[in-house]
Amino acid sequence: MSEFESLAQLTVVAMVPYLLASLGTMLGGLTGVFSVAQEGVMVLGASVGFLVSYGVGSNTVGILAAAAVGGVFGLLLGAATTYLRLDQFVVGLALFFAATGLAGLLFRVAIGQSATQPLVPTLPRLEIPLLSDIPLIGRVLFAQNALVYLTAAVTVGLYLFLYRTRAGLDLRAVGENPKAADSLGIPVVRSRLWTATAGGALMGVAGAYLPLIYTGTFTEGIIGGRGWLAIALTFFGGWRPQFIAAGALFFATMDVIALRAEVGNIALPSQALAVLPYVATLLVMIFAFRWARVPEFLGRNYDRESRTA
Amino acid sequence: MTAPAAAPTTPAADVAPEPRLHGPMRLLRRVLPYVLALLLAFVVSGIVIAALGYDPIEAFRTILSTSFRTPFGFTETLTKWVPLVLLALGFTIPLAVGRFNIGGEGQLLVGGTAAAGVGIVYADLPAAALIPLTLIAGLLAGAVWAGIAALLMGRFGVNEILSTVLLNFVSFQVLDYAATKVWADPAAGVAATRSVGVHAQLPTIGGPPGVHAGILLAALVSAATILVTRRTAAGFELRASGLNPRAAAINGIRVGRIAVVALVVGGALGGLAGAMEVTGVHDRAIEGMQSNFLLLGIIIGLIARGSALWVPVVAFGIAVLEVGASSMQRTVGVPAEMVLIIEALILIFLLLSDVIAGRLARKARA
Repeated sequence: MSEFESLAQLTVVAMVPYLLASLGTMLGGLTGVFSVAQEGVMVLGASVGFLVSYGVGSNTVGILAAAAVGGVFGLLLGAATTYLRLDQFVVGLALFFAATGLAGLLFRVAIGQSATQPLVPTLPRLEIPLLSDIPLIGRVLFAQNALVYLTAAVTVGLYLFLYRTRAGLDLRAVGENPKAADSLGIPVVRSRLWTATAGGALMGVAGAYLPLIYTGTFTEGIIGGRGWLAIALTFFGGWRPQFIAAGALFFATMDVIALRAEVGNIALPSQALAVLPYVATLLVMIFAFRWARVPEFLGRNYDRESRTA
Repeated sequence: MTAPAAAPTTPAADVAPEPRLHGPMRLLRRVLPYVLALLLAFVVSGIVIAALGYDPIEAFRTILSTSFRTPFGFTETLTKWVPLVLLALGFTIPLAVGRFNIGGEGQLLVGGTAAAGVGIVYADLPAAALIPLTLIAGLLAGAVWAGIAALLMGRFGVNEILSTVLLNFVSFQVLDYAATKVWADPAAGVAATRSVGVHAQLPTIGGPPGVHAGILLAALVSAATILVTRRTAAGFELRASGLNPRAAAINGIRVGRIAVVALVVGGALGGLAGAMEVTGVHDRAIEGMQSNFLLLGIIIGLIARGSALWVPVVAFGIAVLEVGASSMQRTVGVPAEMVLIIEALILIFLLLSDVIAGRLARKARA
């Protein structure tokens, strides 16, 4: 494999957690539920995903478990902001704390202080016959782990669902104008609940991806701000799956450059390259917030009986 | 767009309308949700601790008593209180304008790095000059760090939650650079700067073991915040901008500018906290010295419902829990992370009690 191919392959691998977490954020946000718990839910997904994979001996079960706990946290956010109409940011932060604490707690209780680092086998590469033989891009795109293919399917699926189906249009209406949606008989609360839940599940899988692909084990700092970057990516991508996918490519490239900086011999101090993803994101946000078309009702709670909103 | 929500309601603004009550009833109405939230949080986490196979009574006894059993425990609690109260105020001051400062960690670290740098470079100055210099350096560094986010928010409409959080991750590298390239101390065993000169170290009061004098400054800052937010025109404009930005703007208050200033002031307090961690506690800037102060500061601010009056009190309670947590891990074996869950539960139950109180009030009126 050429240098380009191996770097491109790494970049595709690095795209997945950003893309999944951002699509999860987008899905909830399109009905108005804005989560700020990504970082916590991802840490929890990483912890649970790793622990279950380790205990059961199956990475698939681990990923499903991470999706389940992520979904529970999404549902909690959805329920607290629909039935109880609590402030979305405050609840999101509370869930962020709870998930962060729970992640560390579960890992400590299950593994304890062991001398040897427990490890699970990372997901294998699945080569798709014929397609992976295409020169240059074949191995980059079609010799990847299963979650890469799954993420691609989720991205395309969400795009088709949101922009090519009636149900998708209804769903977007909830986030733009819940009152109008409600008057048309679209179930506002139910839409908010399921999108928040599904969004949380995607974040959970995004978290589980990191130990199951990169390290084979869980460490406290494993997410390293990717949850927060995913929020930025969602704004950058204008809350649309196709642009979020493009943005994820940018974020992943920064990630790979920062990663290479740790091993490579570049004249700059390593710290200067390590900050690249964050600084680049800050710069990009200057433009992202200019053009981002945000769901009108993002972050606000809907009260059917209220006259003002 | 300055925040994803067009008008983010602060917790303070979200409180259910209170029926007019006087004297003890009014106090009861204020305090009752806290008592209930605390009790429920402890009951739920007690069940979790029991389910994990530990003794919940013993765990809680350790958590709550460690701070008061020995002078060391109490000193440790007070020492923890200093950064907690400063970061909590750094969170609540911008919160009063509806802005979320999630960057306390970064502000603390750059403040600490700046203070360490000044303490190392000007080690020859007398203490009377060097101590104020290090503190001012920390304060300014924190203000500049938050100022970046404030500039992005005020000028370009970049969401401050994101910018402050991302700057945290940049700050790790700033400290890492200082601790490994500029003022590295290879003998320290961990990534840390060299020790600041003796003249930069804050004096200890009381003891032994005693608390560093920064606690006086933290108390002073708390008192000043209460006075400024409640008794001055600037404080009124701050609160008015948060409660109803449109009404405030119509009445000539420059809401955008107030939000920027509030964020910068919040950052300055974070920087001050970092400077005092360096000159009062560690004598140097160490990687990881931010501990989980950021999360705790936010929790304190939210539990205090953004009230500057309650922040010092809640911060003390959280400091007690935190000091107790590490002791609980040593003696009872329950992982210290449990305390973070207890704190999150207190917050969640407090929010729920608001909802219940609101429904009860509505029912009482109907």
